[in-house]
Amino acid sequence: MAARPPSLPALPLPFPPAFRERLHALIGQRAGFRGAPDARQRARRSVLSQSGTFVGHRPYEHGDDLRRIDWSAYARTGQLYVKQLEQEQRRTAALLLDLTASLHAGEPPRRVPLLRGAAVVGGFALAQLDGLTVLAPGAGALAERTFTGVAAVPELLAHLAALPVVAAGVGDAVGLLLQRGLPGRVHWFSDFAVPSACERPLHALRRRGAVVTGWLPELPTDRAPQPSGYLRVTDPETGEELTLPVDEAFVAELRRQLALLAARQDRLFAQAGARLVRWRAPALDDHSAAAFAVFAARCEP
Amino acid sequence: MTLAEPWRLLALLVVPVLWWLSLPSRPQTAVLTPHLQQWQLALAALRRRPPRWSRWRFLLLALAAAFAALAFAGPTVPGEPGPSRLVVVLDASASMAARGPDGRTAWARATDALRTTLPTVPADVEVTLLRAGGPLLRRHGASARALHDLGDPAGELDADLATLAADAGRQPGAAVWTLTDGQGGRPLPTAGARTVLRAAGSNAAVLAVRLVDRWPLPALDLEVDVAAFVDAPGIAALRVSGAIAAPSERAVELAPSAVRTEVFALERLAAGGELGVRIELPGDVLAGDDVWRAELPPLPAPRIAVLADAEAGPFAAVAAEALAAEVGGSVVAAAGDQPVGVVLVEGGAIDLAPGAARAVAFGARMRGAAEATAWPMPVVADWDRQGALTRGLDLSELRLQRAWRGVLPAGEPFLWADDAGVRTPLAVVVAGTGGIASVHFAFRLQDGNLPLLAAFPQLLRRAFVRSYGEGAAPRVRSEQPPAGERDLRVAALGDDVALPPFATPELDLAPWCVLLALAAVALRAFVR
Repeated sequence: MAARPPSLPALPLPFPPAFRERLHALIGQRAGFRGAPDARQRARRSVLSQSGTFVGHRPYEHGDDLRRIDWSAYARTGQLYVKQLEQEQRRTAALLLDLTASLHAGEPPRRVPLLRGAAVVGGFALAQLDGLTVLAPGAGALAERTFTGVAAVPELLAHLAALPVVAAGVGDAVGLLLQRGLPGRVHWFSDFAVPSACERPLHALRRRGAVVTGWLPELPTDRAPQPSGYLRVTDPETGEELTLPVDEAFVAELRRQLALLAARQDRLFAQAGARLVRWRAPALDDHSAAAFAVFAARCEP
Repeated sequence: MTLAEPWRLLALLVVPVLWWLSLPSRPQTAVLTPHLQQWQLALAALRRRPPRWSRWRFLLLALAAAFAALAFAGPTVPGEPGPSRLVVVLDASASMAARGPDGRTAWARATDALRTTLPTVPADVEVTLLRAGGPLLRRHGASARALHDLGDPAGELDADLATLAADAGRQPGAAVWTLTDGQGGRPLPTAGARTVLRAAGSNAAVLAVRLVDRWPLPALDLEVDVAAFVDAPGIAALRVSGAIAAPSERAVELAPSAVRTEVFALERLAAGGELGVRIELPGDVLAGDDVWRAELPPLPAPRIAVLADAEAGPFAAVAAEALAAEVGGSVVAAAGDQPVGVVLVEGGAIDLAPGAARAVAFGARMRGAAEATAWPMPVVADWDRQGALTRGLDLSELRLQRAWRGVLPAGEPFLWADDAGVRTPLAVVVAGTGGIASVHFAFRLQDGNLPLLAAFPQLLRRAFVRSYGEGAAPRVRSEQPPAGERDLRVAALGDDVALPPFATPELDLAPWCVLLALAAVALRAFVR
């Protein structure tokens, strides 16, 4: 019998004015540092066009786009190879968002720093690239949305704030992404609570040559949980419950299990040739520059 | 299933309480986490189980409570109606020994039927067996089911089986089963079940045997009454054999139901032994009344001693000689070291305990007794007319010139004198142990005319026989069937009636409910 999903706590406003001011400041600093691109020229390009500098071959794998097969190499060797293009020439990026209920757990709820982080990265992409695609698996009409130009930042924030809580995984979104053609870079925002569910999408993106960056807002309880007493623990995504008494020995073991989970997450992204960026989720009212310094330092839209 | 106390099912209300008590307590703190799997892995690593509500454990507990409540309410399965007691009326009269067409007696068939049927009667049914005919026996319970000590058919059916069965059948919850051959001219029982064991046919019987014993003489006369209960006259063979000098056999023509008397003059063997009378008729179905048997004692050959005082006349010696000649004995001297068969004492005093030795004493006093006083001219008043010693003898001519007072020991008198209007014994018999007796007279032979009386030899011989007591009497070994059990020509009319189905006991389910409750509790210990 499937467990009934619990009622989720109400979330605070994800993008208050203070955050919006901070976001504009961050975008301004970023644009100045990298240099402003020619927005009009980029706007003429197709958002999802394939272009770039040839950097080499790799053996053909089932599922690869047939248009990318190098037939000349086939004529020479009798083996199928696909051409690999230099990713830097891609001028678009994609935000792949995890909107499941599990993000409502934690204090503050993980969804808030996750959306704020997505807004920052999206803002960077709009400021520096030709376009931005936001993929929200399971969000219905809001599942896919493309934004162009830095002027679309308010529109992006409104879109992000309107995204619902869904139960779908990322597999469908990745399939859609691969069908439409790869953007330059994929920013995957999630808690990656079940690493095994992310393994196939990551490897599929890697086979297509996508550059994936995982963004994981870390809560204090992810590393050092401090539960005690007689608790009822609920997975907000599945509704599954666990009632148990918690003592020191259990807390120690739980910390060990969470450490193993973090190690698995890191190993998963490393094996997929991707980056996993963890940043400490700031407090809800913390909109200081330091709270978002990780994006300025590690984000490559 | 019925409940003795249905209101006790209210105890089932404890089940909701048990359900409420079995629920694990609700934690006050709720935590949302995306890492529930890690929590579970931590629990597994510590080999702990979360407290949880087990449906199966509660179901088993509820089941145990339900069974206990049910047991408390007294569940029973009602039994089938029917009799709970069985009274078996078994005809054990002599006619049950008659053989049927299959060669088996009605008694054997009756006992076989009982041995076959009684084990099939439910164990909770009380069985009572009444053996009617001959000595009335009553067996109850296991003894009745095992047919203990039923004996053989004998005697007359002195109870009316129909009445007996009807009386037994009127008892509440009782079933009656009568097993009879239907002989005796009485109607078959109509109450209850009935098994008629037919054994009709011809029957010849030795009705009675009258024995005239002349012991200690060898002469023996038999008068045998025989009869044949047949449809047509027939010839039967009547044999007398055993402890007689010459066995005798006669062919006797017997008319239907007519009694015929045959007389046999026999001479018995001195060694004694069994004397048998048998009648044989072709087709005789009842063998029990065909034979008469008696045990004849050996004839005595006693050593007769005479003790006479100095004043005694020759009568004692003469009497001893005559007695010895009659019974084949001899007269010996009364020496102290020689065993004798009988002692004739005439006067004087003797060392003899009355009844301890065979003796016939005339006017002798016991040594150590009070001095005897003379009793002149006693008048004989009477004698025992029915006793074995003087029955049929004429002692009216007995005249005594003198008798002695105080010489008679305590005993059974059989001759009296008129002593001033008071009947005073003149002779007594003192019976001892083992049938030995001594006969004492209060006068000497020479003081009266007793030796001159015609009855004297017979009185002397009877005194001799009496001194031998029961050892001289023939003992009849067989008992003839009563008259009502002999005529077996008419078979009983009436069919067998089967036994009704017996009641089955009420089954108490409470122990089973308790057992199931305990089993549920025990099983719950293995369920997590």
